[in-house]
Amino acid sequence: MDSLFSQLSVLGSSLVLLFGLILLWRRGISAYVGAFAAQSMVLSAVIAIVGYFGNDHELYWVAGTLFLLKGLVIPRLLRRMERRFAVEREMEPYVNTASSLVVSGLLVLFGYMVTRPLVGLSQLPTRAGMPLAMGLVLVSLFVVISRKKALTQVIGFLMLENGLALLAVLGTYGIPLIVELGVALDVLMGFLVMQIFVYRIHETFESIDVEQLNRLRY
Amino acid sequence: MNLEFGLMLGGYGVGAVGALLMPGGRAGRGIAAFGMVWGGAAGLALSLQVLLGGAAFTLEVPTLLSIADGLAFRLDALGAFFLGLVGLLAIPCGVYGFEYVGAYEGRYSLRLLGAMLNMFLLTMSLVPCADNVLTFLLMWEGMSLTSYFLVLTEADEPDTIAAAGWYLAMTHVGLALALAGFLILAANATTTAFGDLRTAAASLTPAMRNTVFLLALAGFGSKAGIVPLHVWLPRAHPAAPSHVSALMSGVMIKLGVYGLLRIGLDLLGGGPAWWGALLIGLGALSAVVGVLYALMENDLKRLLAYSSVENIGLVFIGLGAGFLFLGLDATAAALVAFAAALYHALNHAAFKSLLFLGAGSVLHATRTRDMNRLGGLIRGLPWTAAFFLVGALAIAGLPPLNGFVSEWLLFQSLLPGIESRAPMVAPLMTLAVSVLALTAGLAAAGFVKAFGITFLAIPRSPAAECAHEAPVSMRVGMGILAVACAVFGLAAVAIMPALAAALAGSARLPVPVPGFGSGVSLSMPSGFARMSPTLVALGLILITGAAWLVVRLFASRWPVRVSATWGCGRVVQTPRMEYTSTAFAEPLRRVFAELYRPTQDLSIDFHPESRYFVQSIEYRSEIVPWFERYLYAPLVTRVRRWSIWVRALQSGSAHAYLTYLVIALLGLLTLLIVRPG
Amino acid sequence: MGYVLEVAQAALALALAPGLAGLIRWLKARLQNRRGAPVWQPYWELAKLFQKEVVVSSNASWLFRAAPFIVFASTTAVTFLVPILAVPLPFDGLGDLLVVVYLLLLSTFFLSLGGLDPGSPFGGMGASREMTVAALAEPTVALAIFALALAAGSTNLGQIVARTMADPGAFLSPGHLLAFGALFIVTLAETGRLPIDNPATHLELTMIHEAMVLEYSGRYLALIEWAAAVKLFIFFALLGNLFIPWGVSVVLTPTTVAVAVASLLVKLVVLAAVVAVLETRIAKLRLFRVPELLSVSFVLALLAVTSSFLLK
Repeated sequence: MDSLFSQLSVLGSSLVLLFGLILLWRRGISAYVGAFAAQSMVLSAVIAIVGYFGNDHELYWVAGTLFLLKGLVIPRLLRRMERRFAVEREMEPYVNTASSLVVSGLLVLFGYMVTRPLVGLSQLPTRAGMPLAMGLVLVSLFVVISRKKALTQVIGFLMLENGLALLAVLGTYGIPLIVELGVALDVLMGFLVMQIFVYRIHETFESIDVEQLNRLRY
Repeated sequence: MNLEFGLMLGGYGVGAVGALLMPGGRAGRGIAAFGMVWGGAAGLALSLQVLLGGAAFTLEVPTLLSIADGLAFRLDALGAFFLGLVGLLAIPCGVYGFEYVGAYEGRYSLRLLGAMLNMFLLTMSLVPCADNVLTFLLMWEGMSLTSYFLVLTEADEPDTIAAAGWYLAMTHVGLALALAGFLILAANATTTAFGDLRTAAASLTPAMRNTVFLLALAGFGSKAGIVPLHVWLPRAHPAAPSHVSALMSGVMIKLGVYGLLRIGLDLLGGGPAWWGALLIGLGALSAVVGVLYALMENDLKRLLAYSSVENIGLVFIGLGAGFLFLGLDATAAALVAFAAALYHALNHAAFKSLLFLGAGSVLHATRTRDMNRLGGLIRGLPWTAAFFLVGALAIAGLPPLNGFVSEWLLFQSLLPGIESRAPMVAPLMTLAVSVLALTAGLAAAGFVKAFGITFLAIPRSPAAECAHEAPVSMRVGMGILAVACAVFGLAAVAIMPALAAALAGSARLPVPVPGFGSGVSLSMPSGFARMSPTLVALGLILITGAAWLVVRLFASRWPVRVSATWGCGRVVQTPRMEYTSTAFAEPLRRVFAELYRPTQDLSIDFHPESRYFVQSIEYRSEIVPWFERYLYAPLVTRVRRWSIWVRALQSGSAHAYLTYLVIALLGLLTLLIVRPG
Repeated sequence: MGYVLEVAQAALALALAPGLAGLIRWLKARLQNRRGAPVWQPYWELAKLFQKEVVVSSNASWLFRAAPFIVFASTTAVTFLVPILAVPLPFDGLGDLLVVVYLLLLSTFFLSLGGLDPGSPFGGMGASREMTVAALAEPTVALAIFALALAAGSTNLGQIVARTMADPGAFLSPGHLLAFGALFIVTLAETGRLPIDNPATHLELTMIHEAMVLEYSGRYLALIEWAAAVKLFIFFALLGNLFIPWGVSVVLTPTTVAVAVASLLVKLVVLAAVVAVLETRIAKLRLFRVPELLSVSFVLALLAVTSSFLLK
């Protein structure tokens, strides 16, 4: 299992997960956007590597699409939103930073336990990275529920997509181009809808603190 | 009857009877202490005889209480270890107690104290010797009752009676649970002798085995002090006299470990791997909770009590690893893990009792346990300070003392688990290793606080200023334990095989005991790692000496000048400027604030004329442990309500009582009709 | 022959350590566009301190005077155990990586006690902060050790180095790199470098290590400063030789030892440059942000262990 391919795949998956953890450590929205962009770029690199070693040229297109969409376009849109809403920092999330990091470590361990049977069944050299991808999925879910700013939750959701894509690539050795295009379109539409919502929230409450939504009750 | 056994009974008996009959004063104290030392030495001799000689010692008295199979004693190697622990601690605590209880003359009854202490030691010595259920429970109950009276000694202090009440309640709940476990085991067996229980246990269904194990865990775990059943520990241990606290923390909680080993390992012969996983989880929780609350304590003895909870957690981590490996059929690794856990129990007995005796000496000198009122005691109590420093170094797990060696062994025994292929073992072991390291670091921080704030710097109150050194017998008691701490660390190579031999033969643990290195070098049987505590100690001493010599020869142009503290050019230094115990722990309090959830209460008194002038500010912050707030407070409220309801039965009316008698009689007669014969 | 090399190794560590601290200081100065003191300035400082008068507080006890010797001794003892020039060494069986970690904790313990002894609030503050940082760095160190030990099959340092040398591909393994990252952050924490502590500060709000040694002077201060430099050397040597062991001599001949010394110097200079650049670019973290950084290093170490047993 020590072949260059499996080592690179685990290395890539670790980097993807580590960029995800930046969402729990840093507080500035620009840091989050940068981390997301870097994560998407590393993910596209991993897909390209799988394409190279697995001799599947479709994956190069998939990697390219991902790089363009999630590495360049969406981060640019996010930065525009950030400038418009003048949102600087994520202050006081529901769970404090040190605890969030410890919880994320535990979630990675949990992801390892969950994917163990899958790893045992699979024969692919990339199977060792699957627990890390599962860990990213769980950590992104944790980000969505523990952070207060809507923009952070959007970025968490996008990272969740990345995690699922990584899991699919490592587990099944690739995603057909058609499926990836469909998913990409889905994500873009969803993102645009979310952008509209965040804009409306900001207009109504002058802030994008999701806590404020409960004022709608009265 | 064996000579040492008789001497042990005789020693404690003489101590108890003599304490009751003597007129008091030095003679009464002397005979109680003498009885303790004699009995302890005999017990230690007996246990060494069994441990090193190999043959078990048996004694049967079937005629006494024959309805429940009479009294039966059998000391095998496992029990001998715990008996040795009792004897080992009885000697220094006896010597120490001789002068310590002198402070109680005229205020509390010394006869009761001396008698109860000897009976406490006797019943504790007999618990590991018990060979049937009746004997075990009789001795266990005796131990609980005598320790209850001992905790109640200082009845004039405000918290003592409540503490003793909590202790009594929890120890009896534990007894009930353990009794239930024993009864289930005995249901299938011919007699209640442990040998028969062992053979009967082989034919129990797995569900029954699990039930017995869980009951034993709950019952003996509460005696050992596992979270969340540990709440009696931080109340009872500070309230008792210091040498009693030393015995309770050093030995009595280890008997909880003994009970669990006896039922889980010996009688049931091990079980599925999840038993071990559960123990590791509970042990890790206790270790972290114990050390975190110890850090926040300002009362010296409560800090030591919480630290006992932490160390028992570490022992349970080792035990859990043993049961886990046993369930996975890695018997060699299991043996090493169990031996490491027992070794840590031995070391904890040595350094924890040393620390409690030191705290007692501080209490004896200054009449206060509050660290915020102490300080600078290293000048008034130099010997106590030195012994306490040895204890603090040992408990922080620093080389080359015994705490370090047993923590090293615990780490190494967990390592094979990380490589294991079984599903949940690797993540569990990773968590256990992180918890072990975290508690080691936090314990070091806690004991820098305990030693530094109590003994160093300037006295914070008049009581601390005029403190005087402890009398000779107290110093001798502490000295014996300090030497023991050093010896247990250096002699690890000899002690570990003896412990492994104590466990071998139980369950499926392999009988040819592996070696743990030779000469001065301690190594793991699998060859995974090696180290030498002796040579590290030697190296440290040599380098320190060499450095001192070189500096003395080449760099001592100027003599040392003593002057005021510089403090960045500040002119005056008062005790109010020093760091307090609360202040020292404040960064960690902030880091773990979500766990502690301290309450904060700030009230500011403004000047009546203007809001810009403040007359006084009062700040109050308190940490109430969350299990007390969310688990025990509602439980206590519910029990109170229920007991008020039950109290209605005691109406005081004679008619009501007669009615109860008649109903009981009718009930028994009904039973006779329904089940004739 | 091996014993001679052991002593030579320790002597080399003691001799080079102040130079290492001076090098970092000089590089920082150059990066900040200053000329800076020469690289061997710490040697002059130590020599001066050894000749100066010692003033001890009237509140301090024997512990205050003994602590510098114990701190120095435990740090020096570690230099005998760490693979600096060659493996395997005769003292390899004396202590493994866990012994090294706990010996360093011993020196921190006594340093903190020495800070509390004079009764000055600065000492208390430094002691409390230092113990907090040390306690929170422990789990990371233990897990990083275990990540390395898993790969090598033992916690003995010589064996870890030998195993990495035998398998060059292991260098790229994620467990290895993540453990390096985690240990690098711990190095910064334990040796009191930015962003955790500022070794050049004069403001008490920003001090951790400096606050504890505020009351020391003369030869005691010299011993403590030297011990701090040796600790820095030890951590750099560990980072270099455990993770990038090429150059460490396996067979004891004069050429291999010379190569070992040269490669050690190269690794030290590279690490010093990295730390100097980092210290120039990053501001010091608030004290209550330090646990967050240490949690990051803990997660890195956890991932390192997880990757180690993922790739088996």
